[in-house]
Amino acid sequence: MADSQQIEPLIGEQMEGAMLGPAPSGGLHQLVPDGGEVYVTSSGWRLAWREYASNRLALIALALLVLVVLFCFVGPIFYHSNQTLSNPLAQTEPPSGAHLLGTDQNGFDELGRLMLGGQSALEIGAYASLVAIVIGTLYGAIAGLVGGVLDAVLMRFVDVLLSIPFLIVVLVLATKYSGTVLDISLVLGIFSWLVPSRLVRGEVLTLRTRDFVIAAQTMGATRRRVIFRHLIPNAMSVTIVNITFLIADSILALALLGFIGFGLQFPNTSWGDMLGNAQTYVTNGQWWLVYPVGGLLVVVVLCFNIIGDALRDAVDVRLQRR
Amino acid sequence: MIGYIIRRLLTAVIVVIGVAAITFAMLHYVAPSPVYIVLGTKATHRAIEVWNRQHGYDRPEIIQFLSYLNNLIHLNFGYAYKFSQPVSALFRENAGRSAYLSGTALVLSLIIALPLGIVQAVKRNSPGDYAATAVNFTLYSMPSFFLGLILIQLLALDLGWFPPGVSDTVTSTLSAITHPRQLFLPIITLALLNVAAFSRYMRSAALDELAQDYIRLARAKGLSERGVLMRHLLRNASLSTITLVGLSVPSLLAGNLLIEILFNYPGLGLLFYNGLTNLDYNVMIAYTLLGAILTVLGNLLADITIAAADPRVRLG
Amino acid sequence: MPTPALKVHDLTTEIQLSRATVHAVGNVDLEIGEGETLGLVGESGSGKSILGLSILGLLPGGGHVTGGSIKLYDRELVGMKPRELREIRGNEIAMIFQDSLSSLNPTKSIGEQVAEPVRLHRGASRKEALDRALEVLELVGLPRPRERLSDYPHQLSGGLRQRVMIAIALACEPKVLLADEPTTALDVTIQAQILKVLDDLEQRLGMATLLVTHDMGVVAGRSRRINVMYAGRIVETAPSEELFTAMRHPYTQSLLGSIPRLESDASKPLLSIPGLPPDLTNPPAGCRFAARCRFATDQCRAQEPPLTGSGEHFFACWNPVDGPAVITVSKPAAGAAPAAAVAASVISEPAPAPAAAPAATNGSAPLLELVNVVREYPVTAGALLKRKVNSVKAVSNVSLYVNPGESFGLVGESGCGKTSLGKLIVGIEKPDAGQVKVRGEELFKKRGGELRTARRVVQMMFQDPYGSLDPRMRVRSILREPMQVQGIGSAKEQDQRVRELLGEVGLPVNALERYPHEFSGGQRQRIALARALVLEPKIMVADEPVSALDVSIRSQVLNLMKRLQSEHGMASIVISHDLAVVKYLSDRIGVMYLGRLVELGTGDDIYRRAAHPYTEALIKTIPVPDPAVEKAKADVGIRGELPSPIDPPSGCRFRTRCPLAQEICSQQEPPMRRFGPSHQAACHFPLQTPEPETAATNGAGASAAPSLS
Repeated sequence: MADSQQIEPLIGEQMEGAMLGPAPSGGLHQLVPDGGEVYVTSSGWRLAWREYASNRLALIALALLVLVVLFCFVGPIFYHSNQTLSNPLAQTEPPSGAHLLGTDQNGFDELGRLMLGGQSALEIGAYASLVAIVIGTLYGAIAGLVGGVLDAVLMRFVDVLLSIPFLIVVLVLATKYSGTVLDISLVLGIFSWLVPSRLVRGEVLTLRTRDFVIAAQTMGATRRRVIFRHLIPNAMSVTIVNITFLIADSILALALLGFIGFGLQFPNTSWGDMLGNAQTYVTNGQWWLVYPVGGLLVVVVLCFNIIGDALRDAVDVRLQRR
Repeated sequence: MIGYIIRRLLTAVIVVIGVAAITFAMLHYVAPSPVYIVLGTKATHRAIEVWNRQHGYDRPEIIQFLSYLNNLIHLNFGYAYKFSQPVSALFRENAGRSAYLSGTALVLSLIIALPLGIVQAVKRNSPGDYAATAVNFTLYSMPSFFLGLILIQLLALDLGWFPPGVSDTVTSTLSAITHPRQLFLPIITLALLNVAAFSRYMRSAALDELAQDYIRLARAKGLSERGVLMRHLLRNASLSTITLVGLSVPSLLAGNLLIEILFNYPGLGLLFYNGLTNLDYNVMIAYTLLGAILTVLGNLLADITIAAADPRVRLG
Repeated sequence: MPTPALKVHDLTTEIQLSRATVHAVGNVDLEIGEGETLGLVGESGSGKSILGLSILGLLPGGGHVTGGSIKLYDRELVGMKPRELREIRGNEIAMIFQDSLSSLNPTKSIGEQVAEPVRLHRGASRKEALDRALEVLELVGLPRPRERLSDYPHQLSGGLRQRVMIAIALACEPKVLLADEPTTALDVTIQAQILKVLDDLEQRLGMATLLVTHDMGVVAGRSRRINVMYAGRIVETAPSEELFTAMRHPYTQSLLGSIPRLESDASKPLLSIPGLPPDLTNPPAGCRFAARCRFATDQCRAQEPPLTGSGEHFFACWNPVDGPAVITVSKPAAGAAPAAAVAASVISEPAPAPAAAPAATNGSAPLLELVNVVREYPVTAGALLKRKVNSVKAVSNVSLYVNPGESFGLVGESGCGKTSLGKLIVGIEKPDAGQVKVRGEELFKKRGGELRTARRVVQMMFQDPYGSLDPRMRVRSILREPMQVQGIGSAKEQDQRVRELLGEVGLPVNALERYPHEFSGGQRQRIALARALVLEPKIMVADEPVSALDVSIRSQVLNLMKRLQSEHGMASIVISHDLAVVKYLSDRIGVMYLGRLVELGTGDDIYRRAAHPYTEALIKTIPVPDPAVEKAKADVGIRGELPSPIDPPSGCRFRTRCPLAQEICSQQEPPMRRFGPSHQAACHFPLQTPEPETAATNGAGASAAPSLS
């Protein structure tokens, strides 16, 4: 930590009043600044990043995730396959030179399908978590900031909604709304904001009593300034960490929806839909239609969970460092 | 204590009514009337209108909701048109089997997860801890049916130790209990998923407690590590897990859903699935409500247990 | 010479972190004989606690004793089998920790917890162990121990919990007792009680005690020898009297000189130690104190001094000093102002400080006036509908005034309402009754821009240096914010002002671009002080400004506050539990007890002529860093615990703990009576004779009716 940073000279000589009688020779000139040196470390986010980067597992997860994203979105540029017209002549073929991961029951190339399905899975994960985090942050922030009766009413409403099991609600809604990426994202997102709203509210409530917020009030800061300059930036870390978990959960829920049969409109597909007939494939020994897509899905969810955990630790360190 | 429970029960009733309203509104939005199940999708406009009027589905939604609530109080969940039976009868028939599956899995997972989490916390950052964490994390990130599929592939298809699905001979709760081989895979799948969640939670709870000063004082008294663990850590770390178990009661129900579908096990989840694919109105709403009621009860139970087990908690 | 009960020789302890090694304790020697108390004094991070934990083999993760020996009589503890060591822990060597709330298991009854070591080491049955627990709890003075056996820790107050912790340590009659900051978390009146318990037991049981503390006052009267630790090294060890009167190490000298004392003249600045302790992951090559030492030479920076000396007095220094520092005022410019301010306080009519002269010519209207202020916090119950069942009487009927340029101190134990009063003064909270008037106007009557402008007048400094600065703002933004909020100056002017202020509080300019987490606690308090000064307030409220800081850092901040206070000519209100701190900074002092203001007066009124029995007891209980004074103390000051502020005693709130209390005290609330020009107290049986006039109306005595244009 002892960066050999030059301490700039002080403005004004800062020797406090008290001193010893006769100063011995060579005494004063080499003293450190009165307040002590400022050890230069690094900016807040850089420190968080360093903490994150020191977690090797989290780095691997991040790298893996980047690879998967590249595979899904850039992969199709290099690996062409027909994903719009089914091919009855090439149904459920095992992996071969022509189809590296075989074909599915509609004759689509499975590797290309993985890319396509990955695109929609990642998109749905991102959109759903975005919807959830926006609603959740606003809702929680309002409840925490306004307080009083409104807070009580708003949070009781969250309690009621939270007692309906997420998966069941999503399934019920999916009977009417599924088929497009947007539909599924909305269905997932609209019932995922409850937990973030609670987290943000809790964070806002504790932040409100922190001394630096009180200090801002004593200097005459408006409510708006307190909210936008102090409360929201400080509550953001909770939100950011939560996004990664929300994405992970959304992709998991997507898989369940697909398995039960609520998915994207054919010939579009997501990893969830591709697992819809997984049970039949397993019984028929068509492993290439189950494990590549399932494995990829688990890896992505795992990566998001690991990244979320590491982020939480890193942000904690940044704020609690003493 | 009694006063506290009564007050909590009253709140719970209010929450359940709220849930019923939301569920009802949502269901109404998704499927306003079960008429298509009864008359088929090709029924004439006129016939539909007549049927709706006969069965009260033409009334304002609020009236329909109040009459549903009224039925609910009399434990009447309506008629399952697809199954041609009252919902309550169907639920009575299936609930036992679901409870057996969930209950066994829950107990099994607690027996594994609690000690596992504590041992992981005590031996943190050891190879064993890393391995267990890796497995937990992976299981935690896995769709439940996918784990089921892997187990089917390994233990049923490849090794042939267990049947890949529950056979049709398992018809009653009793037969489910007397055919452990049939239920091995679904129970293990469900239990493993719970172990992942519980032990992860238990590990962090135990880590929090281990960092507390009273652990240091216990060591300063001369207790052995084992003594510290058994006499001081276990109880305090378990307190937070009680909440988790309470909260996981409903997720067991949802977990059941996928597992029952996958293994074709005739429980409430499979019933809901069949209701869902046929838009069987009353089955859907009843199952959703059941989930909500279980959640509320789970919370309540956890709070009461905590209040009984933790002297710091004051009932207010 | 008999074998010492505990002998530590050349002990070195390191703590392995993920990226570095902390050299926490190095080459430490110490000896404690039977029935003897050895003091170990050091600031946080000096390694004193790690030393204690090394002895018991309870080092935190990554900690290892890497060299040396620890002997209990003739048994070597370093390298002992864990099993044997366990038989010693809690049996022959016991330890008391600082925080009694977190150190006791929250879900076990205290009886069980005290009985546990007895069952473990004596093989006693449950019944026998509980009997023994009862005995020990009685010994440590827990009132009604039989009834409390089945209580849980959270049901006891801090002082009683600390007694329980001592009981646990004593349950097996250990030969060696390690007390690690045993009273730091407690209020002074309770601290005195606990120290008394420790003193008595030590004599009765003949234990060897290692008393680890940061507080020179605590060790002064109760240890034969004192070791001073700095940055992992013992820098000086001597018999108590000698250490206080003839210290040789510059660190010991500065440390003692930097403590504000009640009896000393507040006009003399404290000795301050500049800078921060070294980073022990990478300790300097030479003397570890060299970087902050006024006498350091090249030799000091190059070569580590060995512990030398003769007889019983040893020190590690190349250029030892001779006895306590003679303090002179070095800088006439800086020194003159505080001297003037203090001179004003000696003339007991509070006169305005020179800088505030224009304000004072408007007639002597008080700058701040509190009239019968009441603040109560509701206690609610019910899950759904919160209903008020009672209230915490935080501030009850307090009246006081502060003149321009005057510094006012508010002192009291935790829970006395001093912090709530501070919040009322800065206008963060609204009084439930009464008025808080700044320049004759009530803040809460104002709205919008008017309110914003009015807020410039009162600014605040907080206790927790970690919570008072927004962790996501750079220092530049933190210091500019007040000006932005108030719309003062252009961006360039603001920046100029920020740079000036940073210089004033003694921080380098490169601090501007840093975030709060990059500063030490003392540095953060400097930033907080700068922020409070940005708006040039007329009053600054400082709530426990130094209580989170180490002694050597504390004096830096205190001196700085004192200098800036007079340079800026502002009035200040310093809130603290530490009477010495308050006396050092303030012209006038108010003493609070359980929501009431019980006494008001100048520093000398309070310290030399205390009229209220509570004030007197408070002064008596403060540990003084002077062995002669400490040893002469006979009684513990105040008995009993602080009553609950939810249901305070009727009449005089102090009566339940007052030695002079009589019937009338419970029936009638004592009025404020005048004892001198600015000295008032509320007591039926005051220790001084009140002035013959009729009872003075609070605060108004010194000032005419507020008249402001």
